[in-house]
Amino acid sequence: MAIPHPRDIQLAAVRWLDERYPFTKAIEESMYQRVPNFANAFYYCFGGMVFVIIVLQLVTGILLAIYYVPDARGNPAEAYSSVLFIQNSVYLGWLIRGVHFWGANILIFMVLLHMARVYWTGSYRAPRELNWMVGAIMLLIILGFALTGYLLPWDTKAYFATEVTIKIAGSPPPPQLGAFIKQILQGGPVVGPPTLQIFFTAHVFLFPALIILLMYVHFRFIRAHGISEPM
Amino acid sequence: MADAAAPRLVARRTFLGWWMAIILTSLTAAGVLPILVYLWPAPPKGQKKGPVSIILDKPITQLNDGEAVKFNAPTNPNTAFIMADGGGDNAAGDLAFGGFAVKNAGKVAVLAINCSHLGCSVALNDAAKTFDCPCHGSRFHLDGTVLNGPAAYPLSHLTWKQGDDPTTIQVDGIVLGF
Repeated sequence: MAIPHPRDIQLAAVRWLDERYPFTKAIEESMYQRVPNFANAFYYCFGGMVFVIIVLQLVTGILLAIYYVPDARGNPAEAYSSVLFIQNSVYLGWLIRGVHFWGANILIFMVLLHMARVYWTGSYRAPRELNWMVGAIMLLIILGFALTGYLLPWDTKAYFATEVTIKIAGSPPPPQLGAFIKQILQGGPVVGPPTLQIFFTAHVFLFPALIILLMYVHFRFIRAHGISEPM
Repeated sequence: MADAAAPRLVARRTFLGWWMAIILTSLTAAGVLPILVYLWPAPPKGQKKGPVSIILDKPITQLNDGEAVKFNAPTNPNTAFIMADGGGDNAAGDLAFGGFAVKNAGKVAVLAINCSHLGCSVALNDAAKTFDCPCHGSRFHLDGTVLNGPAAYPLSHLTWKQGDDPTTIQVDGIVLGF
């Protein structure tokens, strides 16, 4: 018997699935889209690169959450020593945390490049204003990710950076409003264990859920409008 | 000259197809393997195997025949004993958090506390000279063999040696590091 081509094995599996649900049709409809020639330029890739980095952040973030302990009580706090544990003891922990750390920095850079391209090609104009707004909200969420993630290692740099940002967030007049915002973000009179708990919750539960939802909306809008023509 | 029409075992396209499959599989593996390595649990700081010093309530030399003393694994730092053998729920290498030093028919043995049925801590029945399990009623002779079920295997032994003074014994164990 001749050795079968791997494609034949693949086809057998796909056929078995397709007889039960039209997966091929669904995937083809969602994946294959004709792209206009003017979009075959490198600067049209920035949005896709942002997407890839966000997926990478989600994967490495889930992996980090396996070992990270969001507990700021005690000295040294578990939050700090668990990050040390990831960095020094966990196999390849330095790599996973390194990818998460640098991914976060590069993500913001790529988002700015993507927005610059959208601005430069005028892709925000009618009828695409809503998609620009969704994108702007996602920018704020990504900055929220950066802000909350910065506190999680619970070292001196993280602590005092958060002290400063909370002070800024608590500055809008009237003073009662500022004090209210500060109280909500800080979870108490000083930056302490409740602050870490709040920031951790936002970083791993709230923001990921929001950004996945908004990414879906963003992509549906792109499909609905098509890629904008250059100016 | 070879017959050009003879069918080959592996057609050119099949060969290339398998190469593509191998390359794609290796690329996937290169992405997934680091994640699996990362998921493999690293030993906590301070974890190490070695003999654990235990102070018994009564020196082994003073144990009467048919007498047993219970001892627990130290909790500061958190320590466990390592079973030397086992059957049923217990296996060699499993951890125990307590044990008995027993003198039976002139011979001293150190047994792990875990019942071989489902791992409950057996208790010494002083009157009947047996180890009784509180969970499902298994009973063991003082040498660890089964008196009645549901347990089907004898209690596990711990590896031990006499310590420097008569009240201490050195039992094989592990400092857990947490």
